Amino acid sequence: MVKYIIKRILLLIPILLGVSAIIFILKTFTPGDPARQILGNNATQEQIDAKRDELGLNDPVPLQYVRYIGGVVTGDFGDSYRTGEPVLKEILPRLGVSGIITLGAVFIGAVLGVLLGILSALKKYTWVDSLVLVISMFFQSVPEFVVGLFLILIFAVNLHILPANGIETPLGFIMPMLCVGLASIASYTRITRSSMLEVMGEDYIRTARAKGQTEGKIVYSHALRNAIIPVVQSIGTGLANSIGGGMVIETVFAVPGVGKYIVDSITQRNYPSVLGGALIIAFVLTIINLLVDIAFVIIDPRLKTTIIAGGAKRKKAAKPKAA
Amino acid sequence: MSGNILSIKDLVIHYETQEEVVEAVNKINLDLNKGEILGLVGETGAGKTTTALGIMGLLPPKVGHVIQGNIFLEGEDLLKKSQREMRSIRGKKISMIFQDPMTALNPVKTVGDQIAEVIRLHERCSKAEALKKAQDMLAMVGIVPERYKEYPHQFSGGMKQRIVIAIALACEPELLIADEPTTALDVTIQAQILDMMRKLQKDKGTSMILITHDLGVVAEMCDHCAVMYGGEIVEYGTVEQIFDNPKHPYTKALYRSIPSLDQDVERLHVIPGMVSDPSNLPTYCTFYDRCEECNEECGKHDPWIVDIEPGHWAKCFRYTPEWTGTPVADPAETQGEGK
Repeated sequence: MVKYIIKRILLLIPILLGVSAIIFILKTFTPGDPARQILGNNATQEQIDAKRDELGLNDPVPLQYVRYIGGVVTGDFGDSYRTGEPVLKEILPRLGVSGIITLGAVFIGAVLGVLLGILSALKKYTWVDSLVLVISMFFQSVPEFVVGLFLILIFAVNLHILPANGIETPLGFIMPMLCVGLASIASYTRITRSSMLEVMGEDYIRTARAKGQTEGKIVYSHALRNAIIPVVQSIGTGLANSIGGGMVIETVFAVPGVGKYIVDSITQRNYPSVLGGALIIAFVLTIINLLVDIAFVIIDPRLKTTIIAGGAKRKKAAKPKAA
Repeated sequence: MSGNILSIKDLVIHYETQEEVVEAVNKINLDLNKGEILGLVGETGAGKTTTALGIMGLLPPKVGHVIQGNIFLEGEDLLKKSQREMRSIRGKKISMIFQDPMTALNPVKTVGDQIAEVIRLHERCSKAEALKKAQDMLAMVGIVPERYKEYPHQFSGGMKQRIVIAIALACEPELLIADEPTTALDVTIQAQILDMMRKLQKDKGTSMILITHDLGVVAEMCDHCAVMYGGEIVEYGTVEQIFDNPKHPYTKALYRSIPSLDQDVERLHVIPGMVSDPSNLPTYCTFYDRCEECNEECGKHDPWIVDIEPGHWAKCFRYTPEWTGTPVADPAETQGEGK
């Protein structure tokens, strides 16, 4: 297991190299001169040339790339063109904000979604089932910003219990979390429902009933652990989608998150920030994927054997090559 | 033979969906003596498993309904019990072994936990005591007790069925229903499992219903035998009576379908036709369409039960005093003694 985790972490290196290379190439071919962007339209050609030299933009692209990677390895993602601050210092707090919102949203979405999914599976083809479907589809169909505006109207304007925007107080996190979370309920509900229906028809559920187990315990202790596997998979994807893609919500609630930061940086041709942001998000996503895979192994013991057996097979295959 | 443990009276079970009503079990009567093994034989769709699920109270909810009848376990009618009372009976007084051990165990729980679960449900003991007892059960079915921490996928098919049997026997039930316990296993393992089941049954004095379509298994294991066809029991008697003197044309046809070692035959005997559609059962004898010994009467009324000899009966017109017609074909009188 430890071996597997180490192997997975080592896999991070080629992934991050690939991501950075692609963004670096894209940046090179994007029109627009960052030096002019920084100095403004009134700058003279000499000033711009001097700035380009200073930024290393006149060096060959491969050299720029190697220099950049060298910096990244030592934790230096370059300085933001706009503020001159180190990129890492700008991104980390924003990543924290986005991370909290995303985790909260996935928590709300997954908990509500799984509960509703179980409910509609147990009450299949009844009015409860239909009601759950309608509610979850509603929140999925209405765009997040509309839900966001309604939430602001209700909780901030009318009830005055939550701040309309900003995260000066922890209360400010609640509405963005709700907004993203509610939108994701539908997918969790659907996955849980179908997975639960399948599992409740399995023979081992009948075995549990034949033991005299109560229906509640059967759902909770026998069915859910089997049914939750595809849900965990989609939680992983959910985290991945909303951590870097929270731009709309971050704008609606004026929250300084990483999504908005990257989009702003793109429009400003602030390449170190774009690169740094993309790399850090890629890093976080890979870690999330790893955690999801580890969660799978904890939930489903069959996978542990597969992973160990897979490792053993590879070892056997590697031996003749060495000889 | 110290009286009945189980007594089924006029049991009727239907599966009802919006499109159709499937009459899975029709007015069956069964008695099982304490400590005996009853074989329930019949082809797929005869209603064997439905009967078993009916006894367990595990018919599929909303679809499976007991329409009429009684199921007495030691004189108490199981059909009058509440869900809660049934839960305390299932696993404790009656337990069941299912057909396919590959799917009967929960893949994400250790086998020890799965055995301990039933012990904790019915006996007052701590988790540690239950696990200890689970290990004893594993040892009893011939599995190294230390393997209690392993998961079902780490065991072979035969081993899994042993674990299923350990779960079923953990609370020393008075009645064990085994629904084709060896069908999913290969032949060498079948004998092992059957031997083990018979030994445990003898040791604990458990009464047992053995559902099977294998007449060989019935001959090996059972005291009594009930032959099911089309949701009815068509013949009932001791194993000796049924094997030495089969009366119902269906039972006779089943025997003729068994390959014989000392006769050189090109093809096995096949019962012509199909099992009658349980959603559209005839008002006359359910076996009429496939029967080789019927006459016109059989196509008009449903036959009644006729006593052949003490403890042996068949549901067939042939053995009534009123039987007048000559059978269409009667090859059975000579071949019936083939055993």
